[in-house]
Amino acid sequence: MNFEELLKRIRTRLPIQNPLHTYVHNNILLMFENKDFHEALSEASVLYRARPYWQLFRYLEKFEEGKIVEQDIHDAIDHYLGHYQNFTPFLDKLDISAKEFSYRLMFSDIAFETDETVADIKQDHLWELCREKTMNTQIVLSRSLRKWRAKDYWEKYHNENVVLSTQPYVIRLLSSYLDQGQSFWTNPFINKGLWSFFLYDLDGIKNFSTGWQKTLITKTKKYENATTQEIIEKELTEMGIPQEEWEGYLLDILFDLKGWSGMVNKLELEPWQATVKSPSLKLTDYIAILLLVESSLDTFHANEHSLDLSVIYGRAENLELHSYQLALILYQMTIQFKLNERWMQRLSPEEIFQVIDGLDQAYHVDKIRLWHEAYEHHFYREALSAIVGHQQHPMKVVPYAQALFCIDDREESIRRHLEEVDTGIETYGVVGFFGVDMRFEGIKNQKLIAQCPPVITPSRIVKEVNAHDDHRKPSDKINKLLGASGLSLYYHSRTLLRGFIATLILGTAAIFPMFLQVFFPKQSQEFRKWLKNLVSPEPHTELIIDKGEGNHGYSKDEMANIVLGTLKMCGLKEPYARLVVMMGHGASSTNNPFRQAYGCGACGGNAGMPNSRAFAKMANDEGVRIALAEKGVVVPKDTHFISAFHDTTTDEIHFMDLETLPASHKEDFAKFKLHAFEAAKLNAFERCQRFSSPEAKMSPELALKHVRERAEDLAQPRPEYGHCTTAIAIVGRRDLTRGLFLNRRSFLVSYDWTQDDADGSRLFQAVIGAIPVAVNINMDYYFSCVDNDNFGCGSKLSLNLTGLIGVMTGSQSDLRIGLARQMVEVHEPIRNITILEAPLGRVQKIFDSHPRLRNIMYHHWTRVAVFDPEVKQWYIFGQKEFKLLNTDRFNIKHFHTSKELLDKIHNDENFAEIGDD
Amino acid sequence: MIEQLFLVLMGLSFGWMVLLALIFFSKIKLSENFLSQAVKYYSLIVVTVAFVLFCKTWIHSPSVILLDYNDWITVGSYRFKIRSIVDLLGSSYALLSAALISIIFKFSRNYLHKEEGYFRFIFLLSTLMFGLFVVSFSRALDQLFIGWELVGTASILLIGYFYAQVQPVKHAIKAIISYRLCDMGILAAGAWAHHYLHTTDFVAMPTMLAHAHHGGNALIFIGIFIIWASLAKAGQLPMSSWLPTAMEGPTPSSAIFYGALSVHLGPLLLIRMYKYFEHFPSLLIAIAVIGAVSAVYASLVGRTRSDAKTMLAYATISQVGIMYVEIALGYTNFAIFHIFAHASLRTFQFLRSSSLIQDFFENPLVQQNTRINRKLSVESFFSSERKRKVFIHALHGFHLDYITSRIIAGICFPFKKYMEMEDEWMKWDNNFLRKLFRKGPL
Repeated sequence: MNFEELLKRIRTRLPIQNPLHTYVHNNILLMFENKDFHEALSEASVLYRARPYWQLFRYLEKFEEGKIVEQDIHDAIDHYLGHYQNFTPFLDKLDISAKEFSYRLMFSDIAFETDETVADIKQDHLWELCREKTMNTQIVLSRSLRKWRAKDYWEKYHNENVVLSTQPYVIRLLSSYLDQGQSFWTNPFINKGLWSFFLYDLDGIKNFSTGWQKTLITKTKKYENATTQEIIEKELTEMGIPQEEWEGYLLDILFDLKGWSGMVNKLELEPWQATVKSPSLKLTDYIAILLLVESSLDTFHANEHSLDLSVIYGRAENLELHSYQLALILYQMTIQFKLNERWMQRLSPEEIFQVIDGLDQAYHVDKIRLWHEAYEHHFYREALSAIVGHQQHPMKVVPYAQALFCIDDREESIRRHLEEVDTGIETYGVVGFFGVDMRFEGIKNQKLIAQCPPVITPSRIVKEVNAHDDHRKPSDKINKLLGASGLSLYYHSRTLLRGFIATLILGTAAIFPMFLQVFFPKQSQEFRKWLKNLVSPEPHTELIIDKGEGNHGYSKDEMANIVLGTLKMCGLKEPYARLVVMMGHGASSTNNPFRQAYGCGACGGNAGMPNSRAFAKMANDEGVRIALAEKGVVVPKDTHFISAFHDTTTDEIHFMDLETLPASHKEDFAKFKLHAFEAAKLNAFERCQRFSSPEAKMSPELALKHVRERAEDLAQPRPEYGHCTTAIAIVGRRDLTRGLFLNRRSFLVSYDWTQDDADGSRLFQAVIGAIPVAVNINMDYYFSCVDNDNFGCGSKLSLNLTGLIGVMTGSQSDLRIGLARQMVEVHEPIRNITILEAPLGRVQKIFDSHPRLRNIMYHHWTRVAVFDPEVKQWYIFGQKEFKLLNTDRFNIKHFHTSKELLDKIHNDENFAEIGDD
Repeated sequence: MIEQLFLVLMGLSFGWMVLLALIFFSKIKLSENFLSQAVKYYSLIVVTVAFVLFCKTWIHSPSVILLDYNDWITVGSYRFKIRSIVDLLGSSYALLSAALISIIFKFSRNYLHKEEGYFRFIFLLSTLMFGLFVVSFSRALDQLFIGWELVGTASILLIGYFYAQVQPVKHAIKAIISYRLCDMGILAAGAWAHHYLHTTDFVAMPTMLAHAHHGGNALIFIGIFIIWASLAKAGQLPMSSWLPTAMEGPTPSSAIFYGALSVHLGPLLLIRMYKYFEHFPSLLIAIAVIGAVSAVYASLVGRTRSDAKTMLAYATISQVGIMYVEIALGYTNFAIFHIFAHASLRTFQFLRSSSLIQDFFENPLVQQNTRINRKLSVESFFSSERKRKVFIHALHGFHLDYITSRIIAGICFPFKKYMEMEDEWMKWDNNFLRKLFRKGPL
């Protein structure tokens, strides 16, 4: 394998790490999706040194609570054995069926970990037999054959700790080099490359170094004119690592600092993702530095303790079991698996060891997988039975308003409330950028923000301008002044003399805003807004969407295509209602490095407001309507599009560009607005059930007040729970789910199979826009939830923002990946289940045709269930193909309204029927 | 009236701390809600009392109230009295402490919600508060030492708040070593003062100094010890390197200790002893030099730091350095004002340290693809080569850790040699025994 190839393979394994301001939810194992879910997890758990499922006791707790029942266990075993028939190749020796073995395995408790005498051994015949069979023997388990790095020896035997010795050095270099403007001095080497910075740095510390650093300096001197690639190759060869193990070894080193490695990789490949400007970067340089540091540490210790490095490299520490423990395992196994006592009599010692080794594998790998499957199965069963058994509620009246929400699971509840409050409103779910793939320039800043999903490259630029005053940027001077004072406050309050002056002037003043922001977060925010408005009032703006120079704006035909595409994709029922409301969404929070993770994923984590404004403006345009008519879609003269915005944190709803609203629609709009506010209030009430603040649970009014306060509170690590508990994605007509309480767990994608062609081209658009996103979000939460320290970000309490790109824990650490503990604490790690309402043939075709969709279905990153409306039949994807679904009816509760449900059972129920009949 | 208020304040904070300790040891589990309600009322009362006390002493100033209580310890005929001083300096620092800690209490109500260590956190902050009150109002070095230690202990335990991880624990140990080294200064100064001046009273010491019949030059050592003692808490050179690595606990604890209250104990001690230092101009010069060098040092190193908290730590060291200079120049009142302003600003900056991305992005001047030009900085005076040199050295903290470790290694050299010798001897012994018994390794 040549070096380029090696590098390429390494890149695909590194975590996907975006700078925080462009945080997007990703399946962090995106590159493993071509493998079966469980196998990918096993592989990743070695790389990340993480636990890929919950700890066992969590599942056992669920079992005690009745969240996993016998039926789920049996289903899970059947499902699991469908793929892993051979996970227990030694069963013939035990005289036990695979199913029974799996079942017993789940409840087994075998002493692999401890070598202590267990009290409950009866000194009976069986015990004697076990002792006899294992007398004077020992066995090396195959599971534990892990190669150690020399580092592991130093840490175990020589009082070394890389977290405190070599890592701080590397982190200091990197955090300074990648800094985007947080430090006062810009690193003077950013244009010269990481490697030359490293060399210069070594030169600087040469008189002040001890230990491994000295070795590092001499070692690096050897490679004066070598390229970094040569250095890597030479070093690896010198270490005596066979070429086929290079990838594994380098990955092991890179994953010591996985966050930084991922960031270097990202910024090299996509420098435009950088917060301000990416420095010149090469992953090769970075690997060379890590490798040199590692080998210097090894050489240093080897010299210090007069050890031969070649003996240490590549040695593996084995897990050995000795005769007493082996006997114990056999004994426990025989009893717990209810085996015939005589099973081991006919076996040779080798065969017995095979059994023990196999049992060890199963006990450590398959047991937890089975529990996890069982846990998921319970939820799937519950979800499917609720949806299958749900009586469809078609619209009873002709709607006066149709509201298009984002597919986001957080919008499920507000849609439900809106429909309950006003039966004359029909709601749809559509990807929240509404097909407007633009880069947006807001009136207040010069930056262009990509307002579309990260997989799409934005095609056009749309500007926000002042509606009056010849499109001039209003109060530009004041804004710049405010900006400049903000920056100088930041930089200069931290320096010496200017800091002195700033401290004296601002210091005493700081106590008042601090007091207000801590004790009265909401009021202080309102006050600040008022003050800001006084200084530079919010201008009245409009968007320029018409075709301009370069790639500014869209032509009428393009606009018509965008409008057509979105309306058709969600199957908006014709004739269109008098009001069509485009409801974008976003989130607001403060003092939160993860703010971007709460935004609208379809708008690249930004607020969806510009998209909804642009879309409404397009759809209301006379020219666009003519173009639409030519394409065969007649938008009634009576139909007016309104742009709106839902803040998922504060549950505020804003309506924009209302001056174009015709007088004839005012009455309808007033009604819609009133009911939307009412729904938002109920939505806040529903959300508050998950927060443990007692006052918020009392009434919708208090709940609304409470959630607004949360968004403005400096001290609030949980402004909202984001996508926590997300687990379902439903693609189909709203009739399928209207009147069904889904507990904010489901993405809702509108798709009308009757309006589609036989190929399912609309279905493809709906699925490709929504399902990968749903899986990404689900998986991001999954990993951060199951092992927050290694797959996630750890606690938010001691996070330390660095270089405007990421967060470290405490004073210095690896750049953290994933989500913080406080963001995922109420999440339940369940793989997404995708439910589609479409003819099975179309679904099959679509999932087969697209590589990622194929991967996530066939490798079980999502479960897929299909309701074929043509034959009125339910199917579910098993291990390899769709099969008929037979559901048993769960006892589902029935309530008149969602409010009644919330009053009565406080968030214990995942599904319920809502409605009067 | 002032005395009563003072007693109420001390009693309240002490009682509260002891109460929490008792609750902890009796293993009663308080609900988070109940605890935070109790904390709310407690801090409200403490702030009110501290505020009234502050107003009263202000009206009463410039005269101060000296309180003498019963003997604390008697050794033979020598008596250690409990003595307090209630003056504007003490009461204003107490008010600052009470106010800032109350803000932190309120902040952590949401910030540490659902956190297992919430009780521990509250207890340690309560300890800090009592410790600070003791330091503020003590009139004698021996008494001040109690408060000083309580503050230090709380600080260390909060650095190691996440004790399951390696780094916080190691950095807590680094902090404890620095603290201990410098705390010896207070003990030494106390012993010295008792020996030569027969008192450690801040008020009495300067007057005793004038009447001191013997000691002569030895008396300067009391001052040297005091300066030494102040260095660790204030993070001044050469004890600067622990402070930036101490940012391991929850953000509010970093804010209150290293942005606000603990770091300013150094200058506070010097102000308390200012009357004494006045007699020794050389000591004042030493204070000024330490302060100035630390300030420049920290400001240069801080400029290269790119993470929010370490950066603030260096900024804090540099401002405290300036306070040292102010004190040396005799502007003690100004230094007090500086402490107040600085404590408030840094606390706020620490609490808001997670907002930086948001601040930068809402700023209309920050654009993609252009770095912000910062012309008005020291770097414009350097040539580009020298700039790079300074940058590299500053990045490594001017090798302070290396230099310190060399000094310590120098001090420890004889011990190390002795240990090696012992090892050799043990080996010999071992071999000898093995030969004797012809068995495996011992």
